[in-house]
Amino acid sequence: MKIRNRNEEGEKIEVPMAPMIDVVFQLLIFFMLTLKIIEPEGNFDINMPLGAPETSSVTDPDLPPFKVRMEADPDTGTLSRLFFNGQPMGNDRTAFQRLNLQILKSVNALKAAGPDALDKQEVEIDPDFGLNYENIIEAISACSGKMVEGKMVRYISRIKFAPIRAEN
Amino acid sequence: MKIKSSGSTPPDVDMTPMIDIVFQLIAFFMVISNFEQQQADERVTLPRNQLAKPPEVKRDDAFTLNLGFDKNKEGEIIDNTPYIFFGDERVEVANCSNRLRQEAQFYTTIGTPLEDVTVEIRADKEVPSGLVQTLIQKCQEEGIEFQRFALKATQKVSP
Repeated sequence: MKIRNRNEEGEKIEVPMAPMIDVVFQLLIFFMLTLKIIEPEGNFDINMPLGAPETSSVTDPDLPPFKVRMEADPDTGTLSRLFFNGQPMGNDRTAFQRLNLQILKSVNALKAAGPDALDKQEVEIDPDFGLNYENIIEAISACSGKMVEGKMVRYISRIKFAPIRAEN
Repeated sequence: MKIKSSGSTPPDVDMTPMIDIVFQLIAFFMVISNFEQQQADERVTLPRNQLAKPPEVKRDDAFTLNLGFDKNKEGEIIDNTPYIFFGDERVEVANCSNRLRQEAQFYTTIGTPLEDVTVEIRADKEVPSGLVQTLIQKCQEEGIEFQRFALKATQKVSP
Protein backbone atom coordinates (compact mmCIF):
# COMPACT_ATOMS: atom_id res chain seq x y z
CA MET A 1 0.00 0.00 0.00
CA LYS A 2 1.22 3.37 -0.88
CA ILE A 3 1.34 5.92 1.86
CA ARG A 4 0.85 9.53 0.88
CA ASN A 5 3.88 11.59 0.77
CA ARG A 6 3.67 14.35 3.36
CA ASN A 7 6.50 16.30 2.02
CA GLU A 8 4.28 18.99 0.45
CA GLU A 9 2.66 20.02 3.73
CA GLY A 10 3.98 23.57 3.56
CA GLU A 11 2.33 24.24 0.18
CA LYS A 12 -0.90 26.30 -0.02
CA ILE A 13 -4.08 24.51 -1.13
CA GLU A 14 -5.58 26.30 -4.14
CA VAL A 15 -9.34 26.78 -3.83
CA PRO A 16 -10.93 27.26 -7.26
CA MET A 17 -12.43 30.72 -7.15
CA ALA A 18 -13.78 30.95 -10.69
CA PRO A 19 -17.07 28.97 -10.21
CA MET A 20 -17.93 30.86 -7.06
CA ILE A 21 -17.35 34.19 -8.72
CA ASP A 22 -19.48 33.07 -11.66
CA VAL A 23 -22.40 32.24 -9.41
CA VAL A 24 -21.99 35.34 -7.31
CA PHE A 25 -22.06 37.55 -10.38
CA GLN A 26 -25.16 35.77 -11.63
CA LEU A 27 -26.88 36.48 -8.34
CA LEU A 28 -25.76 40.08 -8.38
CA ILE A 29 -27.12 40.62 -11.88
CA PHE A 30 -30.40 38.91 -10.98
CA PHE A 31 -31.01 41.14 -7.96
CA MET A 32 -29.97 44.24 -9.88
CA LEU A 33 -32.43 43.52 -12.68
CA THR A 34 -35.34 42.59 -10.44
CA LEU A 35 -34.91 45.74 -8.40
CA LYS A 36 -37.92 47.96 -8.73
CA ILE A 37 -37.91 51.22 -6.93
CA ILE A 38 -41.31 51.54 -5.30
CA GLU A 39 -42.41 54.59 -3.44
CA PRO A 40 -43.94 53.91 -0.05
CA GLU A 41 -47.71 53.72 -0.23
CA GLY A 42 -50.17 54.40 2.53
CA ASN A 43 -53.84 53.67 3.10
CA PHE A 44 -56.88 55.72 3.94
CA ASP A 45 -59.56 53.51 5.40
CA ILE A 46 -63.11 53.94 4.23
CA ASN A 47 -65.97 52.82 6.35
CA MET A 48 -68.75 51.54 4.11
CA PRO A 49 -71.28 49.39 5.94
CA LEU A 50 -73.43 47.12 3.82
CA GLY A 51 -76.94 47.93 2.80
CA ALA A 52 -78.92 50.84 1.43
CA PRO A 53 -76.17 52.63 -0.46
CA GLU A 54 -78.86 54.45 -2.45
CA THR A 55 -80.02 56.38 0.57
CA SER A 56 -77.80 58.22 2.95
CA SER A 57 -77.39 55.95 5.96
CA VAL A 58 -77.08 57.55 9.35
CA THR A 59 -75.47 55.39 12.01
CA ASP A 60 -76.32 57.58 14.96
CA PRO A 61 -79.29 59.94 14.71
CA ASP A 62 -77.92 62.21 17.46
CA LEU A 63 -74.67 62.72 15.63
CA PRO A 64 -75.27 63.72 12.01
CA PRO A 65 -72.20 63.19 9.80
CA PHE A 66 -70.06 66.11 8.73
CA LYS A 67 -70.83 66.67 5.09
CA VAL A 68 -68.01 67.52 2.73
CA ARG A 69 -69.48 68.44 -0.63
CA MET A 70 -67.19 68.84 -3.61
CA GLU A 71 -68.29 70.31 -6.90
CA ALA A 72 -66.27 69.70 -10.04
CA ASP A 73 -65.64 71.70 -13.16
CA PRO A 74 -67.62 69.68 -15.74
CA ASP A 75 -64.91 69.99 -18.43
CA THR A 76 -61.66 69.41 -16.59
CA GLY A 77 -62.76 67.58 -13.44
CA THR A 78 -60.88 70.01 -11.21
CA LEU A 79 -62.38 71.22 -7.97
CA SER A 80 -64.68 74.18 -8.46
CA ARG A 81 -66.22 74.50 -5.01
CA LEU A 82 -65.81 72.84 -1.63
CA PHE A 83 -68.39 72.98 1.13
CA PHE A 84 -68.19 71.82 4.72
CA ASN A 85 -71.68 71.39 6.19
CA GLY A 86 -72.93 73.87 3.60
CA GLN A 87 -70.29 76.49 4.36
CA PRO A 88 -68.16 77.40 1.32
CA MET A 89 -64.44 76.74 1.79
CA GLY A 90 -63.12 78.00 -1.54
CA ASN A 91 -61.95 76.26 -4.66
CA ASP A 92 -58.18 75.95 -4.59
CA ARG A 93 -55.49 74.19 -2.55
CA THR A 94 -56.14 76.45 0.44
CA ALA A 95 -59.73 75.17 0.53
CA PHE A 96 -58.44 71.91 1.99
CA GLN A 97 -56.46 73.80 4.63
CA ARG A 98 -59.60 75.70 5.56
CA LEU A 99 -61.49 72.41 5.71
CA ASN A 100 -58.77 71.01 7.95
CA LEU A 101 -59.17 74.00 10.31
CA GLN A 102 -62.95 73.64 10.41
CA ILE A 103 -62.60 69.93 11.18
CA LEU A 104 -60.18 70.77 13.99
CA LYS A 105 -62.69 73.21 15.46
CA SER A 106 -65.44 70.60 15.29
CA VAL A 107 -63.15 67.96 16.77
CA ASN A 108 -62.36 70.21 19.71
CA ALA A 109 -66.09 70.83 20.25
CA LEU A 110 -66.70 67.07 20.15
CA LYS A 111 -63.93 66.40 22.64
CA ALA A 112 -65.57 68.86 25.01
CA ALA A 113 -68.94 67.12 24.54
CA GLY A 114 -67.82 63.69 25.65
CA PRO A 115 -65.26 60.96 25.23
CA ASP A 116 -67.26 58.77 22.86
CA ALA A 117 -68.57 61.47 20.58
CA LEU A 118 -65.37 61.78 18.58
CA ASP A 119 -65.13 58.04 17.89
CA LYS A 120 -68.68 57.93 16.62
CA GLN A 121 -68.48 61.02 14.46
CA GLU A 122 -68.52 60.34 10.74
CA VAL A 123 -67.55 62.37 7.72
CA GLU A 124 -69.53 61.93 4.55
CA ILE A 125 -67.71 62.77 1.34
CA ASP A 126 -70.04 63.81 -1.43
CA PRO A 127 -68.22 64.52 -4.72
CA ASP A 128 -69.50 65.20 -8.22
CA PHE A 129 -69.12 62.17 -10.48
CA GLY A 130 -66.46 63.71 -12.68
CA LEU A 131 -64.26 65.16 -9.95
CA ASN A 132 -60.63 64.08 -10.18
CA TYR A 133 -59.86 61.41 -7.63
CA GLU A 134 -56.85 63.23 -6.16
CA ASN A 135 -59.26 65.75 -4.60
CA ILE A 136 -60.96 62.93 -2.72
CA ILE A 137 -57.66 61.91 -1.18
CA GLU A 138 -56.97 65.56 -0.25
CA ALA A 139 -60.37 65.86 1.41
CA ILE A 140 -60.05 62.54 3.27
CA SER A 141 -56.60 63.59 4.42
CA ALA A 142 -57.90 66.98 5.61
CA CYS A 143 -60.62 65.23 7.63
CA SER A 144 -58.50 62.44 9.05
CA GLY A 145 -55.73 64.45 10.56
CA LYS A 146 -52.73 66.67 10.30
CA MET A 147 -48.98 66.22 10.31
CA VAL A 148 -47.36 68.05 13.20
CA GLU A 149 -43.57 67.77 13.34
CA GLY A 150 -43.52 64.44 11.55
CA LYS A 151 -46.23 62.90 13.69
CA MET A 152 -49.84 62.44 12.71
CA VAL A 153 -52.53 63.98 14.86
CA ARG A 154 -55.71 62.08 14.13
CA TYR A 155 -59.00 63.98 13.88
CA ILE A 156 -61.74 61.73 12.54
CA SER A 157 -61.28 58.14 11.49
CA ARG A 158 -64.75 57.20 10.27
CA ILE A 159 -65.05 58.34 6.70
CA LYS A 160 -67.64 57.23 4.20
CA PHE A 161 -68.98 58.16 0.82
CA ALA A 162 -72.37 59.67 0.12
CA PRO A 163 -74.56 57.99 -2.53
CA ILE A 164 -73.14 58.35 -6.03
CA ARG A 165 -74.21 61.41 -7.96
CA ALA A 166 -75.41 61.04 -11.54
CA GLU A 167 -72.84 61.36 -14.31
CA ASN A 168 -73.28 64.47 -16.41
CA MET B 1 20.39 47.14 -13.14
CA LYS B 2 18.24 44.19 -12.36
CA ILE B 3 15.78 43.12 -15.01
CA LYS B 4 12.57 41.39 -13.92
CA SER B 5 12.47 37.82 -14.93
CA SER B 6 9.36 37.01 -16.92
CA GLY B 7 8.80 33.55 -15.56
CA SER B 8 6.06 31.19 -16.68
CA THR B 9 4.09 31.43 -13.37
CA PRO B 10 1.02 33.73 -13.72
CA PRO B 11 0.83 36.65 -11.26
CA ASP B 12 -1.39 35.97 -8.27
CA VAL B 13 -4.39 38.33 -8.20
CA ASP B 14 -5.86 38.83 -4.77
CA MET B 15 -9.59 38.06 -5.10
CA THR B 16 -10.63 38.73 -1.51
CA PRO B 17 -11.52 42.48 -1.73
CA MET B 18 -13.53 41.97 -4.88
CA ILE B 19 -15.50 39.11 -3.38
CA ASP B 20 -16.12 41.20 -0.26
CA ILE B 21 -17.60 44.01 -2.29
CA VAL B 22 -19.65 41.74 -4.51
CA PHE B 23 -21.17 40.05 -1.46
CA GLN B 24 -21.95 43.45 0.00
CA LEU B 25 -23.75 44.39 -3.21
CA ILE B 26 -25.71 41.15 -3.27
CA ALA B 27 -26.78 41.62 0.33
CA PHE B 28 -27.83 45.20 -0.46
CA PHE B 29 -29.96 44.25 -3.46
CA MET B 30 -31.50 41.32 -1.61
CA VAL B 31 -32.60 43.51 1.25
CA ILE B 32 -33.82 46.31 -1.00
CA SER B 33 -35.80 44.23 -3.47
CA ASN B 34 -39.37 43.79 -2.52
CA PHE B 35 -41.24 40.84 -3.92
CA GLU B 36 -44.46 41.55 -2.11
CA GLN B 37 -45.74 44.57 -3.95
CA GLN B 38 -46.38 42.70 -7.17
CA GLN B 39 -50.02 43.64 -7.15
CA ALA B 40 -49.19 47.23 -7.89
CA ASP B 41 -49.66 48.24 -11.50
CA GLU B 42 -47.27 50.85 -12.84
CA ARG B 43 -49.90 52.33 -15.15
CA VAL B 44 -51.64 53.78 -12.11
CA THR B 45 -50.28 57.11 -10.85
CA LEU B 46 -51.47 57.41 -7.28
CA PRO B 47 -52.28 60.78 -5.72
CA ARG B 48 -49.69 62.04 -3.26
CA ASN B 49 -50.43 62.85 0.32
CA GLN B 50 -48.54 63.63 3.48
CA LEU B 51 -50.70 61.47 5.67
CA ALA B 52 -50.33 58.39 3.49
CA LYS B 53 -47.98 56.51 5.78
CA PRO B 54 -47.19 52.90 5.00
CA PRO B 55 -48.89 50.66 7.56
CA GLU B 56 -46.56 49.15 10.15
CA VAL B 57 -48.38 45.82 10.20
CA LYS B 58 -49.28 44.25 6.92
CA ARG B 59 -52.88 43.23 6.48
CA ASP B 60 -53.39 39.50 6.13
CA ASP B 61 -56.52 39.43 4.07
CA ALA B 62 -56.37 42.11 1.47
CA PHE B 63 -56.52 42.24 -2.27
CA THR B 64 -55.75 45.11 -4.56
CA LEU B 65 -57.74 46.61 -7.39
CA ASN B 66 -55.83 48.83 -9.81
CA LEU B 67 -58.02 51.43 -11.51
CA GLY B 68 -56.33 53.58 -14.10
CA PHE B 69 -55.85 54.51 -17.71
CA ASP B 70 -54.06 52.55 -20.40
CA LYS B 71 -50.74 54.23 -21.03
CA ASN B 72 -48.01 53.88 -23.63
CA LYS B 73 -44.33 53.43 -22.80
CA GLU B 74 -43.81 57.16 -22.40
CA GLY B 75 -46.54 57.24 -19.79
CA GLU B 76 -49.06 59.13 -21.91
CA ILE B 77 -52.68 58.18 -21.65
CA ILE B 78 -53.79 56.45 -24.88
CA ASP B 79 -57.35 55.63 -23.87
CA ASN B 80 -59.61 57.92 -21.88
CA THR B 81 -61.70 55.10 -20.44
CA PRO B 82 -60.53 53.99 -17.00
CA TYR B 83 -60.01 50.24 -16.63
CA ILE B 84 -59.38 47.86 -13.78
CA PHE B 85 -56.13 46.01 -14.48
CA PHE B 86 -55.74 42.34 -13.67
CA GLY B 87 -52.25 41.66 -15.00
CA ASP B 88 -52.48 41.86 -18.78
CA GLU B 89 -56.25 41.79 -18.70
CA ARG B 90 -58.30 44.96 -18.38
CA VAL B 91 -61.93 45.25 -17.41
CA GLU B 92 -64.24 48.25 -17.32
CA VAL B 93 -65.74 49.11 -13.96
CA ALA B 94 -69.24 48.39 -15.27
CA ASN B 95 -68.29 44.79 -16.16
CA CYS B 96 -66.15 43.87 -13.17
CA SER B 97 -68.83 42.08 -11.10
CA ASN B 98 -67.77 38.62 -12.27
CA ARG B 99 -64.15 39.14 -11.26
CA LEU B 100 -65.21 40.48 -7.87
CA ARG B 101 -67.56 37.57 -7.39
CA GLN B 102 -64.69 35.15 -8.07
CA GLU B 103 -62.58 36.97 -5.53
CA ALA B 104 -65.39 36.78 -2.96
CA GLN B 105 -65.86 33.07 -3.67
CA PHE B 106 -62.15 32.49 -3.16
CA TYR B 107 -62.27 34.03 0.33
CA THR B 108 -65.44 32.13 1.16
CA THR B 109 -63.77 28.88 0.07
CA ILE B 110 -60.70 29.40 2.23
CA GLY B 111 -62.99 30.23 5.14
CA THR B 112 -62.24 33.92 5.61
CA PRO B 113 -65.35 35.96 6.41
CA LEU B 114 -65.83 38.68 3.81
CA GLU B 115 -66.13 41.38 6.45
CA ASP B 116 -62.49 40.74 7.41
CA VAL B 117 -61.18 41.21 3.89
CA THR B 118 -59.87 44.63 2.93
CA VAL B 119 -60.22 45.81 -0.63
CA GLU B 120 -57.32 48.10 -1.38
CA ILE B 121 -58.14 50.47 -4.18
CA ARG B 122 -55.22 51.92 -6.12
CA ALA B 123 -56.90 54.49 -8.32
CA ASP B 124 -55.17 56.90 -10.67
CA LYS B 125 -55.29 60.51 -9.54
CA GLU B 126 -57.21 61.57 -12.66
CA VAL B 127 -59.92 58.93 -12.48
CA PRO B 128 -63.40 60.42 -11.94
CA SER B 129 -64.27 59.91 -8.29
CA GLY B 130 -67.75 58.68 -9.21
CA LEU B 131 -66.09 55.62 -10.73
CA VAL B 132 -64.28 54.84 -7.49
CA GLN B 133 -67.63 55.09 -5.72
CA THR B 134 -69.18 52.82 -8.35
CA LEU B 135 -66.38 50.32 -7.80
CA ILE B 136 -67.02 50.32 -4.06
CA GLN B 137 -70.71 49.83 -4.73
CA LYS B 138 -69.91 46.91 -7.06
CA CYS B 139 -67.86 45.37 -4.26
CA GLN B 140 -70.99 45.38 -2.11
CA GLU B 141 -73.40 43.82 -4.56
CA GLU B 142 -75.45 40.74 -3.76
CA GLY B 143 -73.07 37.83 -3.20
CA ILE B 144 -69.88 39.93 -3.06
CA GLU B 145 -70.39 42.01 0.08
CA PHE B 146 -66.94 43.28 0.95
CA GLN B 147 -67.10 45.82 3.74
CA ARG B 148 -63.64 47.16 4.37
CA PHE B 149 -62.00 49.48 1.92
CA ALA B 150 -58.72 51.34 1.82
CA LEU B 151 -57.76 54.01 -0.67
CA LYS B 152 -54.08 54.08 -1.56
CA ALA B 153 -51.86 57.11 -1.99
CA THR B 154 -48.11 57.56 -2.21
CA GLN B 155 -46.41 59.22 0.68
CA LYS B 156 -45.43 62.83 0.12
CA VAL B 157 -42.45 63.79 2.20
CA SER B 158 -42.92 67.26 3.52
CA PRO B 159 -39.97 69.62 3.01
